[in-house]
Formats: sequence, structure tokens, C-alpha cells
Amino acid sequence: MISVEDLSVSYGDLRALDDVSLDIADGEFVTVVGPSGCGKTTLLRTIGGLESPTAGRVSVDGDPPEVAQADARLGFVFQDHTLLPWKTALENVTFLRRMAGKDPEPAGARELLATTGLDGFEDARPSELSGGMKQRVAIARAIHLGADVLLMDEPFGELDEITRDEMSVEILQLWRENRKTVVFVTHSVPEAVFLGDRCLVVAGAPAADGPDSSTENGTPGRIVAEFDIDLPRPRDESVFGSEAFGRQVARVRGALHDDA
Amino acid sequence: MSVADRVPAPDVVLPVSALLAAVATWWALTAALAIPPFLLPAPAAVAARLAGNPDLYLTNAAATLRKILVGGAVGITVGFSLALVVWAVPLLKRAIYPYLVALRVLPKIAVAPVFLIYFGVGFETAILFVALIVFFPVVVGTAAGLDRTPESHLDLLRSVDAGPLRTFLAVRLPHALPDVFAGVKQSVTLAVVGAVVAEWILSNDGLGSLILVASENVQVDVMLAALTVLLCVGLLLYGGVALCYRAVAWD
Repeated sequence: MISVEDLSVSYGDLRALDDVSLDIADGEFVTVVGPSGCGKTTLLRTIGGLESPTAGRVSVDGDPPEVAQADARLGFVFQDHTLLPWKTALENVTFLRRMAGKDPEPAGARELLATTGLDGFEDARPSELSGGMKQRVAIARAIHLGADVLLMDEPFGELDEITRDEMSVEILQLWRENRKTVVFVTHSVPEAVFLGDRCLVVAGAPAADGPDSSTENGTPGRIVAEFDIDLPRPRDESVFGSEAFGRQVARVRGALHDDA
Repeated sequence: MSVADRVPAPDVVLPVSALLAAVATWWALTAALAIPPFLLPAPAAVAARLAGNPDLYLTNAAATLRKILVGGAVGITVGFSLALVVWAVPLLKRAIYPYLVALRVLPKIAVAPVFLIYFGVGFETAILFVALIVFFPVVVGTAAGLDRTPESHLDLLRSVDAGPLRTFLAVRLPHALPDVFAGVKQSVTLAVVGAVVAEWILSNDGLGSLILVASENVQVDVMLAALTVLLCVGLLLYGGVALCYRAVAWD
């Protein structure tokens, strides 16, 4: 379980996140949606131990994120695929596990590549793969790491819309098969609704630190709304056209615009 | 059949034809205008020089090559190591990196007479001079390359607590290689220049020395023969570095 208590994060004098509290259950798929610069990425990075809390605390199964990092319990997928250009797809999948000090399992890595539709591309370099394929390798890499928690920072942000929809369906399938806890940051409301068990709406912008900050500079990032997405699972492409999906998207959009 | 398979033929045929045409023109000029051989010998005369005493050219080429290789190895090793230190110690980088960049502008050839006074004539002085010339492009290339790793790749390794040494070897160094090699490629060309200059001023053997002595004796055919050999040495070295680069390159 991931627990965030009264978390604030500042960069110098600028407060990016203010007093955020949040619990995420094991195996839950939580999406975080909000406009650019609202602090949603900071929230994700702090959960993953890449940023340090200025106040409050984060724990992953009771441990600080640094401990979870050392145990390879956190698998990041960034917007930038972060594949090493000199390694093949297969080597990229096993690479992170090796860096974490664990033995790579090439057979498992091959299987993962196959389930993500990359059969026959094991020996391809990133430059030979499309944007969607690269992101599939990055996701396979995070799963192969053996992390319990996947932290995804707009992983489909640079993909075209058709590929995004395909990848959304695929990531749900992988999630069903591997039962990870997922925190998924996006600025696409439909994506957040389609994927999540729960959708958190984050709003705000970095603001100067200090007692009067909220009155003078606007407010730093915080969770302004939270929605349980009760669309039935398993979800596939047909969900996109359903009325219930449209209603949920409208509710989340409403919360975003209320705040703005 | 891919495009690459079809193109090479004209790529070889045209340059070779151009070379043959140039040599033919050279020959035609010397014959038609009856230029005295001591001013411009015919290609055949130069070839005869090479064929007549191959040992002379091979021995001197070996001496020049030795200076380039030993001096180059020293310069690359020192340049690469210093770049690592400068990169790892930010304070040092801020203090001396501006000078390393500025000193690239200095024509290193002008330093040779200074070396002559401090170190005298000899192989070691020549090595030192070649190393000095090779050093700068390597240090600047390496230092730039080590900063080339995308922040997100470092985040990725931090997310599994990979540690600085592992991060360096697995991600930073490979990311730096293209820049390191760009520096080495520049160095190779400069190293040949450096070796020749060293042979003029700092030592008494090698192709540079041969050219200088031939010039004093107005032996244009010997000079041209030595220059041809020197050109081959330079091309060989450049090709060698390019091959090494292709073996480790990813970009």
C-alpha cells in the first residue's frame, strides 16, 4: 500500500504541491489527471523517491521510497521512453533489472515482449522501433524489473491518439495479468477515466512559499476532486463509445473546469 | 536489393577516375611543357624513387607512425582522464574548464620551440609534443560528452538505486562515446601534423625530417614520395579510428 500524508514539495521558494494526502491500495489502478504544471508529475516522482518531500511523508508498504527503490519495488515509465539507444529491445528490458542488482531472466523478458506485441523485435534497436513500440519496451522493462508498483508519468504523451487507445487497452491487460499497483499520470481525461479504478484531479500551479501564498500567488498543486470510476472491468475499446464512459468523462472535466 | 547495395559502384569509380585524371594531367604537363625534373618530376619519377629505395620510406614512415601512436596514446589517456576528473569535481571544472577551451585556440605548433629549450631534441620530446596536440580535442570532447546523458535516463537509474559507478559505466560513458570519438577523430589529423612538426624541430628522423632534408637538397621527387607515404599514413590512421568508432558507436 502507498500512503501519502500531508505531503508538500517545494523547489527553492516555489511550492509545487501543498498538503496532499492519499492512500493507494495494493493492486489498485489510480489515475492522476490535471493540466500541465499542476504538480501531478511532482506527486508521482515524490512517491517514487525521485523528489524529496519538503513536509509530510510518503511510504510504500510502510517503507520510505528510497528503501523501495533499493528493493526494486518501484517501476517507472516516463513520457520519454528512456531506452538506451545502443541496446536491443531485449537488452533494454533486462537492463534495468541488472542495474537493480537482480539476475536478468531473458526467457521472461522475451515472453513479456511477446505479450506486448513485439514478437520478432527482440534484437531491434530503439531507432528501428515506432514510438508506441518503444513505450511498450519501457513498460515491459518496468514489469520485468519485478516491481510491485508501476509509476507511469504520461507514458503515452508523445503517441498519436490511435496508438494511445491501443496502448490503453494493452496496459489494462498487462495490469490484469500481472496485478501491479499502478499510479498513472496523464493530462488526458478520457485516458484517466478509461484506465483508472479511481481518478484524482490535481489543480494549481507552483506558487511562492509563505503564509500568504494562497491569497497572493494562486494556489500550489493539490487534489481538488476524486472520482471512483465504476465502469465494469475488463474494459476494452467498446468502452470508449459507451454512455457511462461519456458521463464519467464529463464529470471529471467538470471538476477540472470548476477549479480553473 | 537496398539502395545502399546499388550506390557504391559510382562512389568508387568516380573518385578513382578523378585521381587517375589528375595524375595523367600532372604527367602530361611535365611532358608537354618540358618542366625540369628538379622543379616538378613526372609521376613515374616519384614512383621510381619510392620503388628504388622502399626501405628509406618504410623506416621513416615507421618512425613517424611510432610518434603518432605513442604520443596519441599518451594524449588520449591524459585528456580522457583529466576530463573525468574535471567532470567529477565541479569546482575544478569551473576553475579550469574555461582555460582548456580557450587554449584550444592557441596554435600548439608555436609551442614546439619552447619544448626544444626545455626538453631538447629526441623521441621523448616529439612524443610530448604530439601528446599536447592530441590532448585538447579529447579533453573537451570527453567533458562535453559526459554531460550528454539525458536527465530522464539518470532518473531511471536512480529509481532502482543503481549507484554512481554503475550509472557511470552503464549509461554516462556510453552516452559520452560519440563525443569522445569526435575528439579523437580531430586528434588523429592533428597528431599527423604534430609528428611532422616535431620531426622538423624536435627530432631527426621520420618522414617530416626526410621532407625537410630533401627540401634543403632541392630533391622534389623525394619530397613528393615522402608526402605520398605521409598521406597514406594519415589515411590509415583516420580509417583505423573510424573503424574503432563503428565498433563501439550507437548513434
